[in-house]
Amino acid sequence: MRVRRLIAVWTAKIVSTACRFSGRQGVTLAGRIALKLDPKILSDLASMVREEIFVVCGTNGKTTTNNLLCSAIESEGKKLVCNHTGSNMLAGVAAAFVLAAGNNGKLDADYACIEIDEASTLRIFPHFKPDYMVLTNLFRDQLDRYGEIDITMDILDRAMKMAPGMTLIVNGDDALSEYLAMKSGNPYKTYGISEQVFKEQSSEQGSHEIREGRFCKNCGARLEYEFYHYSQLGKYHCPECGFTRPEIDFDASHIDMSDGLGFEVEGRQIRADYRGFYNIYNILAAYSAARTAGLALANFDDVLKKFNPQNGRMEQFEIEGTHIVLNLAKNPAGFNQNISAVMEDEKPKDIIIVINDNAQDGTDISWLWDVDFDRFAQESIRSITVSGIRCQDMRLRMKYVDIPSELIADVKSAIEARIKDGCGNLYVLVNYTALFSTRNLLVGMQN
Amino acid sequence: MKITIGHLYPDLLNLYGDRGNIQCMRKRCEWRGIEAAVREFQLSDPIDFAKLDIVLLGGGSDREEMLVCERLKTIQKDFKAYVEDNGVVIAVCGGYQLLGHYYDTDDGRIEGLSLVDLYTEQGSPRLISNIVIENELFSQPIVGFENHGGRTYIGDNQPLGKVRFGYGNNGKDGAEGILYKNVVGTYLHGPLLPKNPQVCDHLIGNALERKYGKSELAPLDDSQELEANRYIVERFC
Repeated sequence: MRVRRLIAVWTAKIVSTACRFSGRQGVTLAGRIALKLDPKILSDLASMVREEIFVVCGTNGKTTTNNLLCSAIESEGKKLVCNHTGSNMLAGVAAAFVLAAGNNGKLDADYACIEIDEASTLRIFPHFKPDYMVLTNLFRDQLDRYGEIDITMDILDRAMKMAPGMTLIVNGDDALSEYLAMKSGNPYKTYGISEQVFKEQSSEQGSHEIREGRFCKNCGARLEYEFYHYSQLGKYHCPECGFTRPEIDFDASHIDMSDGLGFEVEGRQIRADYRGFYNIYNILAAYSAARTAGLALANFDDVLKKFNPQNGRMEQFEIEGTHIVLNLAKNPAGFNQNISAVMEDEKPKDIIIVINDNAQDGTDISWLWDVDFDRFAQESIRSITVSGIRCQDMRLRMKYVDIPSELIADVKSAIEARIKDGCGNLYVLVNYTALFSTRNLLVGMQN
Repeated sequence: MKITIGHLYPDLLNLYGDRGNIQCMRKRCEWRGIEAAVREFQLSDPIDFAKLDIVLLGGGSDREEMLVCERLKTIQKDFKAYVEDNGVVIAVCGGYQLLGHYYDTDDGRIEGLSLVDLYTEQGSPRLISNIVIENELFSQPIVGFENHGGRTYIGDNQPLGKVRFGYGNNGKDGAEGILYKNVVGTYLHGPLLPKNPQVCDHLIGNALERKYGKSELAPLDDSQELEANRYIVERFC
């Protein structure tokens, strides 16, 4: 069988090198070929990981959390396997292991940090059982692909039961994640933010944001909230059955967003130079996972300072005097957090929104209407340009909150136009398949 | 002039941008100087149908439909009277299924409102697609997105449209949705109304007609709406 594995590893490496310029497609193809040549390759290589295997699941924040966790573990001097590119289905996960293997077909790694698409857990766990699973949150996303959020929860429930020894690290502020963890029987730790951060999120009326799981998954009664952070994340309890937000093991306090992000956890001061409240959760998730596994994280501050994943998550570019921030926004919860992050920047700014409806985006773009775009009706927003395959729908979305927008279907032309006549501060918000092409455009224009 | 839109159980039935349908009705009234109030009802709230001009029943997951259906029994009589009195209803996806007698799922029967003579059975696979339908009432095709496990059968009732692309009620008989008195039931979200301004104006017009006996709607500049509509038609038909 060793020969089989060697052939699979070599072939995958050749394929991946040959397709390097096609990005993710090359990675997925390499993984698919490796699995075909040696169906046991993923389980064999995963069993060579000397210490622990982490997987990261959840609707939003998977890639950032996983990459942060990876950097944090690397800073402890450990070797690891990670699917950095975000190829998170079976073939992509297999590719991460195969491409990390040496030419002798063996893996030299202490840890693995693998993000997994929730729906793919059931196909991946037969190959290996992770030691830890981080569950970041559950929001509505790509309903055309996954059906209803209940279906995703059901899949995760089955996945957790396939790996009963796997320790979960869940966002305790999310009633849906907490319910899954509680019900799974797996050991679990929680992270969360126990203090109220946003005054206006104190009640139902404070925001019209779409919230998932308003009703107790345990008994069906309406959950009561002391406050929300965003979407359905907050401090909740069920008045009927006693289901409640758990004791938080890793509790972030003293949240400070005046200059970047700052908070305290386990008595440590954490500072990061990013925007977006949601990134506190990403940092906290990675921190909690590593700490749960017993890592000291002595250099965590340094990790955050150096963290620059260059993957279109709040990635910055300078092109002909225009400062450009590229960010992924692919579902209502993510987009609303993106809008908050953009509005934290009080300077004048132009916005380009790129919406595609390819299979990986979800072909249903109804979710645009669940995003609170009316929040862009602010003085500091100088212009809004809509682009991408479904730019017509996006323009209509803006029309129905009385915000005019300019339609430039071609993304490159849209960016060029705003560099030329904009205010020098440009945000480009894109959904999934637009991310890679737009990022390539920006990298090309910058050089 | 003023119309009141009742949004039923948005906490439970709020999948797929139903807010877009509300927003569309609201704006198209406002732009014409018609006052539009939206009232949201939670499960425990009593509903006075006499104070409503349009009722929106949105989509939810099967599980959520099950929760709603319990409550619906208590308002069935009033709701039925409203419909028979030509009250305007727009019911989408899960809400559309609830208009009928029942929805048989693998986990048991969800009892409907029996407001309209139709029934639904769960089938496999889910019917997921962009969709284009046509009805002579409207000069423009109706476009949207469908995503439903249920197969709905409307008997001799008039459908909302004939399927040109996509699946429709059950993927077999070429019909999509239902028109019964002033009730519109459909699987189309996307959401339904913004890209189909004629359907939106049909609802508003019927509500005004019922309330004031006249319904002259001032024309609006719908060029962006129609361009978005045409894009879908040209791409899929």
